[in-house]
Amino acid sequence: MSAGPSSSGFLESSRRGVADADLRRKLENATGRHLEHVAATRAEFPAFDSERDAARRIKEDAIGRLDELLVELKNKLEANGATVFVAADAGEARDYIVNVVKRAGAKQVVKGKSMTTEEIELNPALERAGVEVVETDLGEYIVQLRGERPSHIITPAIHLSKEDIGRLFADKLGIPYTAEPETLTDAARKRLREIFLSAGVGVTGVNFAIAETGTLALIENEGNGRLSSTLPDTFIAVMGIEKVIPKLSDLPHFLEILARTGTGQKLTTYVNFISGPRGRHDADGPRAMHVVILDNGRSAMLADPVLREALYCLRCGACLNVCPVYRRIGGHAYNSTYPGPIGSIVSPNLFGSAAAELPFASTLCGACRDICPVRIDIPRILLHLRWRESVAQPAIKWPKAAVKARASVVRFARMARFPRTLRLLTRLAAPVLRPFARDGYMRRMPGVAGNWTRWGRDFPALRARRKTRQKPAEHS
Amino acid sequence: MSAFHKLIARVRTALERPVESAPPHHEAGGMAPPHAEAARRAELASAFAREFAAVRGEFLGIHAPEEIPAKVVELARSLNALAVAVGAGVTLDFEPIGRALEAARMAVVRTNAKKRDDAPPLRERIAQADLGVVEADAAIASTGTLAVVGTPASPASLTLTPPANLIIFHADRVHADLAAAIAALGPEPFVKNRVAMITGPSRTADIEKMIVLGVHGPRRLFAIAAWPR
Amino acid sequence: MTEVRLFATCLAEEFFPSVIEAAKTVLERLKLKVRPVRASFCCAQAPFNEGLREPALDLARKFLRACEPGAPIVIPSGSCTSMVRIFYSDLLANEPKLAERAAALRPWIYEFSQFLVDVMKVKYVGARFDRTVAYHPACHLTRELRVIDQPRALLAAVEGIRVVDFRNPEECCGFGGVFSVKLPHISAAMAEDKIQRIQESGASTIVANDCGCLMQLGGALHRRGIPIETWHLAEVLAAR
Repeated sequence: MSAGPSSSGFLESSRRGVADADLRRKLENATGRHLEHVAATRAEFPAFDSERDAARRIKEDAIGRLDELLVELKNKLEANGATVFVAADAGEARDYIVNVVKRAGAKQVVKGKSMTTEEIELNPALERAGVEVVETDLGEYIVQLRGERPSHIITPAIHLSKEDIGRLFADKLGIPYTAEPETLTDAARKRLREIFLSAGVGVTGVNFAIAETGTLALIENEGNGRLSSTLPDTFIAVMGIEKVIPKLSDLPHFLEILARTGTGQKLTTYVNFISGPRGRHDADGPRAMHVVILDNGRSAMLADPVLREALYCLRCGACLNVCPVYRRIGGHAYNSTYPGPIGSIVSPNLFGSAAAELPFASTLCGACRDICPVRIDIPRILLHLRWRESVAQPAIKWPKAAVKARASVVRFARMARFPRTLRLLTRLAAPVLRPFARDGYMRRMPGVAGNWTRWGRDFPALRARRKTRQKPAEHS
Repeated sequence: MSAFHKLIARVRTALERPVESAPPHHEAGGMAPPHAEAARRAELASAFAREFAAVRGEFLGIHAPEEIPAKVVELARSLNALAVAVGAGVTLDFEPIGRALEAARMAVVRTNAKKRDDAPPLRERIAQADLGVVEADAAIASTGTLAVVGTPASPASLTLTPPANLIIFHADRVHADLAAAIAALGPEPFVKNRVAMITGPSRTADIEKMIVLGVHGPRRLFAIAAWPR
Repeated sequence: MTEVRLFATCLAEEFFPSVIEAAKTVLERLKLKVRPVRASFCCAQAPFNEGLREPALDLARKFLRACEPGAPIVIPSGSCTSMVRIFYSDLLANEPKLAERAAALRPWIYEFSQFLVDVMKVKYVGARFDRTVAYHPACHLTRELRVIDQPRALLAAVEGIRVVDFRNPEECCGFGGVFSVKLPHISAAMAEDKIQRIQESGASTIVANDCGCLMQLGGALHRRGIPIETWHLAEVLAAR
């Protein structure tokens, strides 16, 4: 469970994020650039919304008969020569993979980008078993060199500037300092290519698993996913149960929307289809292929009629880029493999009560739902979780400020049932408080409203007539 | 096996819960492949060329099959290639390409040649080549994509490990969009082989969202359309 | 149609009484009889968003008792209007009687600018406002109600006004109700960035349709001593 957030860490970590002006600038630049690309590619593709609807219908269908599709997928993969393992939780998945690696006698494992393996904390488990694990996606490689976890599900090193990466490479790879992205990328390419040619096992995630043919589709831009699944003798793919889709002909609907939303491309550079190990006459491809199908809390999400929709997520990362909260605090603040709006839904379900605060880390502004390629109603699910957490509240240790704020809402709701009394109270209180106000604003407030005035905002005085409201006059 | 049945049982129990959204209706069928008359073919090829250039691919034009070996030699020379790895064609005969390269004094890694016992494995020799040459099974006009099926005679490495990659495609095999291409390929190559859809050279935007080419796969990607006279 | 009911909303009643007067003034100029909804104080959004179903149910019940179908109910807030029009169906999922009442009431509920443009078919309401204005499209107004063009059309018809664009206008101001005091540092950072973008536009006034946004942006501007004012759309339309 340690891939999840540490208890009540969100308040502190999000404060650190907000206070880091440099981080906020980097996030604003990178996410802003992404949103521009997305807007541009969508504008020139009129079928975008109808493809979204088609993709959504396929997910509804697939998740609605996941049992039969998983059986079909497993049978087809096995018929294609792959070994399928079903893991109920992270521990089972880790143990299986460590065993496969040990049996293969591999000292080195290369990894393509995979959030699912982050979720199950695979790397530390392999390292404990004496295996060197090398992340090969450039962003993942960078954060691995820094000993960090990714801060974004698509752009793992979004929190770093090219200068940060230049210093890191100078320090860890011993190359002369440069902030040129081309030179830095080239240095990583050279280093990683040698490892690709010698590593015994490759591990990647899966974007779509096609039941009809027993085919895994891996989507990427760099080619490291292709290398990881082609050069090592053993290939292990790790997927959540929700990745299965019925037919090959369903896939184009997803491909048409995924890159357009995730990166602002029409299509990613590579879509790799792998159905099994190499044939007898093939010159490359793995000799053994293992597919780990992971539950780890997903079937419980499936059982909840509101949460079920969250299993449609394609992990495109767009909701992070558009989220005003994510853009202010960055991915590390969430203390979870899955940050941002979709992470705030998934994390409490995969990692338990330690992430219970995350559904509250949203203004419910709805920008995530609007950008979601499969139209997941994220605000509605967050509300559902808030309600669920409030029912189960005694089990969770909330920060003091949150408990107080919540209590004050209960008090307000109780009073608001009596409008006449409440109006009388505020009418009486207003003149008493007026001397403390300046231009209709209070500089300091007691109690819960003190959180407002301690954080850069004056509080409007009760029933105040701000003098500026009386006559409009241009003052410039 | 029992873990799998347990999972299926969990999933089934979960699915017995009421669903919120209306049951879906599945649409059947994809688009029929485009009619292959000349005008349509030319239109698709030029749409492909435009999109291919937009993803930083380098389109080397439409050529008759017999002109292609000379074009490949020209490209290999411009790249200062010492060794070129050549796969087998799909609709075209690639043997003349290998011969032309050898005539131009370049080493040719042939995928169908009998391996000498002391030679390193084929995939290592491909990784040492400066250019990989294959034929695509399909091209996609709307995205500038080339679909390459990996076979014993055309291993996946050809489009992956050399720093530059030339993909030749037959002008008859350009499809309007992804759905049409996948429908035309049919499920068989996906089950039997490794299929890669390739849209431009390898790239990353992991450093400040700035695009850099050639992070793991080829840095340069070339395409030639073959159009028999 | 001669009578409309005006639901003031709790934030306007407590902090922005001038918004209620302004909304009343504008509606009366259109020859409407304005009757306030006095028997309800809050639409229930605050407890609902906090996941407090029972307290939210109490307030929703109160609101539904205070209102009758048959005359339009105008609300000068995109957020409160969304609560009644959209979120009540989730809140009342297990309360069939109340849900039925809410469904009957739904077609009569309008956000202020929506009512003016879509029902009254007016854009020009006789307002004059000689200022450079940045319009902040509030989140629920924009993404729940999809009321996007109406406020802009009303502003464009105001005499003497100049409406300017700014970067990323649709991004949330950071209010979010209880969010603003539960995660105040994030809330304040959102306001800070939004204000900076508006400052770049050269606007002297921010206009929005939601008292929550006005409270958030106005409070942050006032603390910084930035001479940009915050006005509710109703106040602008009432100005002459």
